[in-house]
Amino acid sequence: MEMKTAKKRGLSFYLSIYKKILAQDLKSKMSYRADFFISTFGMVLTNISGFITFIILFHNFPSVNGWDYHHMLFLYGFSLIALTPVQCFFDNNWNLRFMVRSGDFIKYCFRPINVFFYFISEVFDVKGLGQFVFGLGTFIYAWAHIGIPVTVVTVAEAAIFLITASLFMIALMNFAAATCFWIINSGYVMVIMFRFKDFAKYPSSIFNSVFRFIFTFLIPIAFVAYYPSLVFVTPDHVPLLSWLSPFIGSLFFFLSYKFWMLGVRKYDFTGS
Amino acid sequence: MSNEVIVMKNISKQFKVLNRHEGLKGSIQDLFSRDYKIIKAVDDVSLTVNKGEIIGYLGPNGAGKSTTIKIMTGVLEPSAGEIFVDGRMPYKDRTANSENIGVVFGQRSQLWWNLPLIESFNLLRNIYLVPEKDYRNMLELYRSLVDLEPILHKPVRQMSLGQRTLSDILAAFLHNPGIVFLDEPTIGLDVSMKARIRELIRGLNEVKGTTVILTTHDMGDVDALCKRIIIIDKGRKIYDNDIEHLKSYFGSYRTLRMRLGDDSWVEQVIDEKKTDVMHVMQEMQKEHKIKDIQLQEISTEEVIRKIYEGGESA
Ligand SMILES: Nc1ncnc2c1ncn2[C@@H]1O[C@H](COP(=O)(O)OP(=O)(O)OP(=O)(O)O)[C@@H](O)[C@H]1O
Ligand SMILES: [Mg+2]
Repeated sequence: MEMKTAKKRGLSFYLSIYKKILAQDLKSKMSYRADFFISTFGMVLTNISGFITFIILFHNFPSVNGWDYHHMLFLYGFSLIALTPVQCFFDNNWNLRFMVRSGDFIKYCFRPINVFFYFISEVFDVKGLGQFVFGLGTFIYAWAHIGIPVTVVTVAEAAIFLITASLFMIALMNFAAATCFWIINSGYVMVIMFRFKDFAKYPSSIFNSVFRFIFTFLIPIAFVAYYPSLVFVTPDHVPLLSWLSPFIGSLFFFLSYKFWMLGVRKYDFTGS
Repeated sequence: MSNEVIVMKNISKQFKVLNRHEGLKGSIQDLFSRDYKIIKAVDDVSLTVNKGEIIGYLGPNGAGKSTTIKIMTGVLEPSAGEIFVDGRMPYKDRTANSENIGVVFGQRSQLWWNLPLIESFNLLRNIYLVPEKDYRNMLELYRSLVDLEPILHKPVRQMSLGQRTLSDILAAFLHNPGIVFLDEPTIGLDVSMKARIRELIRGLNEVKGTTVILTTHDMGDVDALCKRIIIIDKGRKIYDNDIEHLKSYFGSYRTLRMRLGDDSWVEQVIDEKKTDVMHVMQEMQKEHKIKDIQLQEISTEEVIRKIYEGGESA
């Protein structure tokens, strides 16, 4: 019997597939122009109202635990950027439990490509882009006001820390979504997990020690903005956890991916 | 060199299902419950499939057909037994296995919902690393078998069920796999769409030599496409042979219709293993005048119904 050897599909293969799906998806979304504009507009409004709340809250309290207004803004902008990828690229996690219940999930298991990639690549959420632009503006504004130098090193650092910080929320949502392979009411788990992102924009030092512990070691929301921001905001005393955050983020994401894939393997594929 | 593309030896698949209790108290109970029921979806099934065959995989609802296909495609791990698809164990080697198979689960589209069909084809071409030339040839072949133009530029979400099924079948053959699994591909389709889909499947099987495993509840599909059928019931294989053989295997039935002197028709189903037609007619003629007769072959549908209803010993 002739054995075809498995074809090699590396990183560049996956990138090019992702690009093609993305381009096609955007093209078809644009064809629903009204829908596209309304949802983008909605996202901008949400961001503006969040921003105004934030300003009112902190403009009158010039310093929180040694964090002044611009430091808070920096943290806010950082968190918005770091929370963009989970929204833009990993939004399909929200559909996972429905597909698993209905049996439609099985279709992702018939192709010779990574199941997690195939599933996640199917949805790109444009709405997240508004948040990104908003976050980036806030981030740059705060960066300038604090007077952080603009050098190759600081910019590269910012890129690395932002990208790896985004992995924390992605991983949390991967974990939360994958619970649907074992339990029925996984929707609650996702909603609760998603709520935690609201704590990302505050300096962890304002929480009491119990919550600080939880947000660092159990539901590591403090790594989304607080720990990595310290690298830029207080460059003279950066805690070890801040320097380690890129590695912790990568590891956490990897574990969440493994958990997700374990769910796929354990799942019995209900439905005819 | 072997002709066997699928070899299954004593395959079983069991599902552990929790006996759920009612109400809030019940669902809390369920969290800690060990009260499981074991369902034997596939029970000690052995079979081999040869290259290029179209096999009708039949059985009543809940017989275990879809479960068998899930095992063959590698998404489910069998509880016991050995299976080789193209020499590989599908569950152990799901990615390599999926390279060489195509799958259609009726009514569950596997295409990108928002994309026009041609763009889905393009993505699949890239995913399966199909050479440009093979891809073009395949599209040419498709054009010769079905009318592609009305669907090629339509997003899948705007298609009728029939167009979607057609598209899914075309997508399943696109990378020219050795084996294609079709689980109830004609479910919910009108008569003419069914006919077109059957023609397409037969055409692709003839030109490409693709092995096809087909499950269906429509005996029209079986009559049109399959030489060999396998029937399972309650997870166990109860028949595996040619379709012609089937009719005699479960008794060779024919229906004798006779028009009597008063122009009324009477019908009698005759098992030719037990009595022959002439004998029945002679008996009848003793009491009635027979003006006309018709002899009807029993349809596959009727045989299958007899089997499903438990008449396998008939
Ligand atoms: N994931 C699962 N968990 C528990 N039981 C299952 C699961 N999948 C199938 N079953 C059970 O196994 C048996 C066989 O199911 P299967 O879907 O293979 O039947 P089928 O022959 O395809 O039926 P149909 O003609 O209705 O599609 C049924 O009793 C079904 O309820
Ligand atoms: Mg089925």
